[in-house]
Amino acid sequence: MNSQNSVAEERELLCAVALNAMLPLANERTLQAAYYILRGRKANQTLQDVHLYNLYPYYRMFPGFSKEDWDKIVATLFQNDYLQPCEGEGPSPKPTFLVTANGRQFAEHAYEKYGFAVWFAPFTRFDLAARIESFWQRLHLLVQTVSQLLGKDLGFVPVVMDKSVQQWVKEQVGPARLREAWEAGLSEELFRLWEPLQPQVQELLVAQLSGVSQVGKTLGQLAKQKQSSKVYLTLLFRYGLAASILRLSEEKQAFPLLSRLVVQENKLDPRLSDSAARTYALVQRGIHKAEIAAQRQVKESTVEDHLVEIALHCPEWDDADYLSSETRAAIMAASEQLQTSRLRLIKDRVGPTVSYLQIRLALARRQEESNE
Amino acid sequence: MNNEWQQQLQQHFGYGEFRPGQESIIKRVLAGKSVLGLMATGGGKSVTYQLPALLLPGITVVVSPLISLMVDQVQQLRTKRKIPAAYLNSTQEAAEAREVLQKIASGQCKLLYISPEKLQQPYVQQALKRATVSLFAIDEAHCISAWGHDFRTDYLRLPDTVKQLGNPPVLAVTATATTAVRDEICSLFGIDRENVVVQTLNRANIAYDLAEVGGESERRQLTFDLIDRLAGPGIVYCSTRQAVEVLVAAYQLEGKRHVDGYHGGMNSMERMLIQTQFLAGELDVIIATNAFGMGIDKPDIRYVIHYQLPASLEAYSQEIGRIGRDGQPGYAMLLYSQDDIHLHQYMLDKEYPTPAQIQQFCQLYGAGAPPDPKALASIDMSEEMAAMLTFYTERALVKAQVSTTTEMANPVQDIWQETEKRKAVKQKKLAEMRSYVLTDRCLRKHLNQYFGESDLGFTRFCCSRCGLQRESYEGRQTALLQREVQNSWNLRQALDMLLPKK
Repeated sequence: MNSQNSVAEERELLCAVALNAMLPLANERTLQAAYYILRGRKANQTLQDVHLYNLYPYYRMFPGFSKEDWDKIVATLFQNDYLQPCEGEGPSPKPTFLVTANGRQFAEHAYEKYGFAVWFAPFTRFDLAARIESFWQRLHLLVQTVSQLLGKDLGFVPVVMDKSVQQWVKEQVGPARLREAWEAGLSEELFRLWEPLQPQVQELLVAQLSGVSQVGKTLGQLAKQKQSSKVYLTLLFRYGLAASILRLSEEKQAFPLLSRLVVQENKLDPRLSDSAARTYALVQRGIHKAEIAAQRQVKESTVEDHLVEIALHCPEWDDADYLSSETRAAIMAASEQLQTSRLRLIKDRVGPTVSYLQIRLALARRQEESNE
Repeated sequence: MNNEWQQQLQQHFGYGEFRPGQESIIKRVLAGKSVLGLMATGGGKSVTYQLPALLLPGITVVVSPLISLMVDQVQQLRTKRKIPAAYLNSTQEAAEAREVLQKIASGQCKLLYISPEKLQQPYVQQALKRATVSLFAIDEAHCISAWGHDFRTDYLRLPDTVKQLGNPPVLAVTATATTAVRDEICSLFGIDRENVVVQTLNRANIAYDLAEVGGESERRQLTFDLIDRLAGPGIVYCSTRQAVEVLVAAYQLEGKRHVDGYHGGMNSMERMLIQTQFLAGELDVIIATNAFGMGIDKPDIRYVIHYQLPASLEAYSQEIGRIGRDGQPGYAMLLYSQDDIHLHQYMLDKEYPTPAQIQQFCQLYGAGAPPDPKALASIDMSEEMAAMLTFYTERALVKAQVSTTTEMANPVQDIWQETEKRKAVKQKKLAEMRSYVLTDRCLRKHLNQYFGESDLGFTRFCCSRCGLQRESYEGRQTALLQREVQNSWNLRQALDMLLPKK
């Protein structure tokens, strides 16, 4: 492939990723919904969409995306007749879109061609997108430090400037016993961790690392070297990291050193935003939402947002205080009949006695069940 | 040279002897005099306070405006030079700052790098008093002058701080200071004329070239041709991030050398990797915005090309000052067009407020605290401009409180006069830059005169006005781009390389 081809591949892949993310959102959400997901917006609406439509692999795939980048992709999708604009339904409709037969075919074809099924497979959990970044930073600085220790050259500039990451690595290599364990065992554990991965993924991971004998390459440089596109390598890279995190979490005993990278020492529940985690702590003590709002000095609607977030991320939480099983069934039935997750449409069907909070809780929990 | 100095110089810095100017500065400092040192960029300014810090009792304070530079220098001091140094700035967490303060108070630190704001904290001053400050060094000392090109308001309190710390001798160092700026620094810190040490600011090993270009394609062609031919390593400076990206992508398609880009919009890990690759010689050329270069320790940079006109001669001389710190010949090319000047003028006009904007700002401010981003958006004002106006508005309010006799007649008018003053300074800088590219006399003479330097010596060529052969800076010997040999992949081998066995 020459460089012109990789430019074409880049464009095709961006369209394919965008369109596949948009497929389940068609006729339900605006054109911007997928943009927020790919950028990794932390707003509740976006988090909920990711969950409702099972779009985990796409969440925070391109944190550097600008609105202009996105508008360009959407324009191409319209030009190629993959998308059609569409009026929304209900009393205050928002404009949405439809995916044409052409578009559906293109999306499926590209999904197949670029092996999305393989690269997306590890993204079955919500928190992975947030975790791969800190995992990579810790791993990168740790490998660099251990490599420099092994090479007996400590006059190096750390590739990661983030203070908390530096502090974490310092704790790892500070105590002599632990340092010696890292020096003796890091290479072997990395080998066992990455050996099952595809060779191209292995190479992508190792080539980005820095140490005493090499300076890491950027993803853009590797794309040029491999005459591939940066977007494709991004898919592979994220896959490699997510697969590593999952394996380390599941096989802690087999990786006594590297499993330290995935320990979450945050005292607040790491599955939630800090504020929602504080609410959850009160919820677990049996306090009702109105009282929580008063105690925490936030609006009750904010606490409701938190409850939905908790419903999404914390399967162990029992929402019976807020949602009876009959109401849940009625909401589910309405959503089925109308083939929608849009709150207002469902509310119009189930009537005024059911609150938006109840609908949101029911929808948040629905995916949980279908996943299991 | 004093034996003890020489020994320390060799032991900690790895030099056999001083570079021009260093010894006479150090001699005065150790005799307890306050000194202004003017040294060319890359002339070894830092040694002039780092070496005395080792020889003097107590602690040496180094005021530095740039956090990245601070971190960099302290890292180098600790790892390469084995000198106990620390820094204090706003990026640190409370626990870390406390730890540093304890070290200072107990005398475990020889050098403290600190930001001017942090130095104002009473507890910091207390810890420093306990440790006894024996030298107060001010890096980038031109920042204190309202006539300087990057005037910092937080520098204004430094003369008071020196008094607070028991009047230790002051060492002010800078690479760019016109005669007016020098006089201002001397009067602020009570530095005697005989203690102004001027190392020649003339960079004899740099040849100055200049070319006017008609349009973008000509500009690009000329630049690519230079990158292909000139002996590297080199830096190409562009005025915008977008220009960097476009140029890198275009050059990588057709060019012969290893080139990559660097700008503030990249994530920090990418920037660090690119910078490290350049230092390690894996990249021949960096195409960058002015975000690149501060604190870079690479003595063998052979050329700098300015793709567009810089905003001032100070910025220009700082950027080309990175050429040839090893003393070997180097080459500076400046490309410009009429459009460049118009663009700078346009940005300058946009940067400073109109009276109407100040009026709107004051109304928002009158409502209480400084306006939030939403309010600013409603009057279409940038955050930078708002920050500037906040500073001047606060100052106007303080003034109004102090003066009981005259009511603050017209704050808008007052503030506008202040910002216009700042704008006029920048306007003048731009005019100086313009006159540099339009002159038909010697470029070296023009540049050096601006900084009050009369030495005009040069080693290979002087400048394009006096005549220079560009070919003499070309490098046939440099290896041109080769496709990297693609070995078959082996994870075990790759990991053994990365993590060698002990």
